[in-house]
Parts: sequence; structure tokens; C-alpha cells
Amino acid sequence: MAVAVLMPVFDEVAALRRTLAGLRDVAAELGGVTVFLVDDGSEIPVAPDALPPPTPSFRIVVARHGVNLGQGAAIETARQIALADGDFAAYVTMDSDGQHGAEDAVALARAVEGGADVAFGNRFLGGSRVPFVRAIVLAAARTFERHLTGLRLADAHNGLRAFSRRALERVPIRQNRMAHATEIKQRVARAGPLAVVEVPVTVRYTAETLAKGQSSLGAVVILRDLAQQYLFGEAE
Amino acid sequence: MTLASAALLALVLGLLAYDVATIRGKRGRYLLVEAAAFLVGGFFIAFPERATAIAHLVGIGRGVDFFLYPIVIWLVRESLLSRRRRLEDAERLTQAVRALAVAEARAVEAREPRDR
Ligand SMILES: Nc1nc2c(ncn2[C@@H]2O[C@H](COP(=O)(O)OP(=O)(O)O)[C@@H](O)[C@H]2O)c(=O)[nH]1
Ligand SMILES: [Mg+2]
Repeated sequence: MAVAVLMPVFDEVAALRRTLAGLRDVAAELGGVTVFLVDDGSEIPVAPDALPPPTPSFRIVVARHGVNLGQGAAIETARQIALADGDFAAYVTMDSDGQHGAEDAVALARAVEGGADVAFGNRFLGGSRVPFVRAIVLAAARTFERHLTGLRLADAHNGLRAFSRRALERVPIRQNRMAHATEIKQRVARAGPLAVVEVPVTVRYTAETLAKGQSSLGAVVILRDLAQQYLFGEAE
Repeated sequence: MTLASAALLALVLGLLAYDVATIRGKRGRYLLVEAAAFLVGGFFIAFPERATAIAHLVGIGRGVDFFLYPIVIWLVRESLLSRRRRLEDAERLTQAVRALAVAEARAVEAREPRDR
């Protein structure tokens, strides 16, 4: 059965094209890939005509947020479209800024096909050269999340993950911005018995991705968003 | 009038004048409320002994305490309520934007070769 890839996009052009080309190359090997791409209000809208055309094993579904809502919101939109589109063997979340590679999407999908409900990417086991300050922030986040969720994971905020259908159904995302990574773990922890594994992946750090991506101060915004949702969010 | 109360008065009137000049016309009717509140406030700044006389009448120490306590209480409540409202608004915006995105989602289609 084919694999779904949930892909948030915000002002990515060259990196998006590379990421999609990588997925197209592994699509047959995975038994088919459908990318659910959500353009999160990019200044220049993603043009479907400029994206790779479908092949027998590869297909892209494009949706667009009329205004920028944030990465979490984009993944949630992709989640809803993907769940309604059909049954997939695995649902992989993956960034489009060039930091994530198709070979890791394959590894995560395989973990779910092999019986895991949720496979989290772990950049500390792959070959990533994580910048020093980022490593410290991630270590603090890991401790924080262990206490918050009870999940013992090595990597706190990694956009590379995969879900089984029954797991993805139980992980709706309310956090529009970057706190969704923490929220996902909270929901996975609360969802009851799910088989959770970590899979080594590589997160590529380049000058370009570091300039555009979140600064380590983003951690403060994440704490604020979590507190805000806890205090003012709808009870569940 | 002391130097401090003159400065405070200037601040209150300056703020009022600035708000009226910049906001008038665009959703600006609340400025009537602001003007009323600031004028009352200005009166008490200019004549503190009057305020204290009234405060003593009802058993409060100083005139400003009349304002201080309610203002702090109001401020705390207002900031909590407005954060809550902001989150609600953001959720509604998200739902609307998402509904449109889902309704208009399309698969990328096969293309005819362009060069003919
Ligand atoms: N920064 C940012 N990225 C977004 C947004 N919406 C979607 N994205 C996508 O989310 C992915 C990750 O963003 P990034 O800032 O690099 O996050 P990081 O890798 O966790 O630091 C990329 O594929 C972006 O295109 C948004 O509002 N802000
Ligand atoms: Mg990134």
C-alpha cells in the first residue's frame, strides 16, 4: 500500500523542488507516494503547474492557506486532506526546506509498515551536525517534554515522523505554530497503547536553512503557546 | 500645583490629544469613553485634596487608592480576557482558512508537452 507525505510549505521554491524530486525517486520503491502539500500562505503561491507531474507511483495534492497560519496549522490541514483521501500504509510528516531527505522518509515509513504506530526521527543517531546552541536547546526541550508527556524520546522537535492511520486519527493538531511538535507527543502519550519507536535520521543544517528556520529563541514562543493553550484553550 | 501633577496632567492631555488626532474616524467612538475617563482623572490629579476628602468620607486612606485598586483589578481581568479572545479569534480564522484550503485542494495534473 502507498505512503502519504504531509508537507508544509512556506516560501520554499528551490528546496521544495529538490525535496519533491527526492520523493519521486523513491515512490516506486515505497509502492506509491502521494504528497499532501500545504502552501501556508507563501508570498508567491506554489504553482501546481511548476510541480513534478504525476507518474504511476507518484502524485501531489496541493492546498493553500490564504494567510500564513504556521507550520502546525499546515500539517493539520494536510492531515485532514490525507485522511479523507484514502488509506495509506504510513503517513510521514516532512519539511520542505531541504533539511529532510527522502531516504529518511522511506526509513520512517518502513518502521510503520513494520508494525510501529508512531516513528519519530532522531537526529542524534543519524549523521546530523547539530549546531552547539541548538543541541543545548533540544536537550532542555527533551527534559521538559519527558516530564510533560512521559514519552522518553531522544529528539524533541523533529519534523520527520511517521504514523499509522489509527495513530494519525488520534493526533489532531491545535497548535498552529511550532508548539505542535510538543502537542503531537502529548496526544500520542494520551492516546493509549501505541507502539512508539525512534528512527535515526539526518537533519541537514546549512547557512540557508539556519537563516530561514526557527532561531533557538523559538523555544520561548513554544512555551508561551503551550501555556496559552493550557490556560485558554477548549477543554478536551 | 506640584511639578509631578503638572507633568501627569500634561501626559494625560497629551495622550488624549494624540489619540483623538490619530484615531478619530476609524472605529474611534470609544474615544468618548477615554476622554471622559481622562478628564475625571485630570481633575483628581489637579486637585488631590478634593479626592482625599471624598476618600476619607467613605473610609479610604488616600484619593488615588480609589483608582489604584479598581484599575489593577480591571487590568488583570482585561488582559486575561483579551488573551482568551485572541485565541478564540485565531481558532476561528484557522477554521475558515482551512475549510477553504480543503475545499480547493487539487491534485497536480499530467501536462501536455508544451513545445508543439
Ligand atoms: N518558519 C515557518 N515555516 C513554515 C510555516 N508554515 C509552514 N512552514 C514549513 O515548515 C517547515 C519547517 O520550518 P522551519 O522554520 O525550518 O522549522 P525547523 O526546521 O523546525 O527550524 C518548512 O518546510 C516550512 O516551509 C511558517 O509559518 N513558518
Ligand atoms: Mg527547517
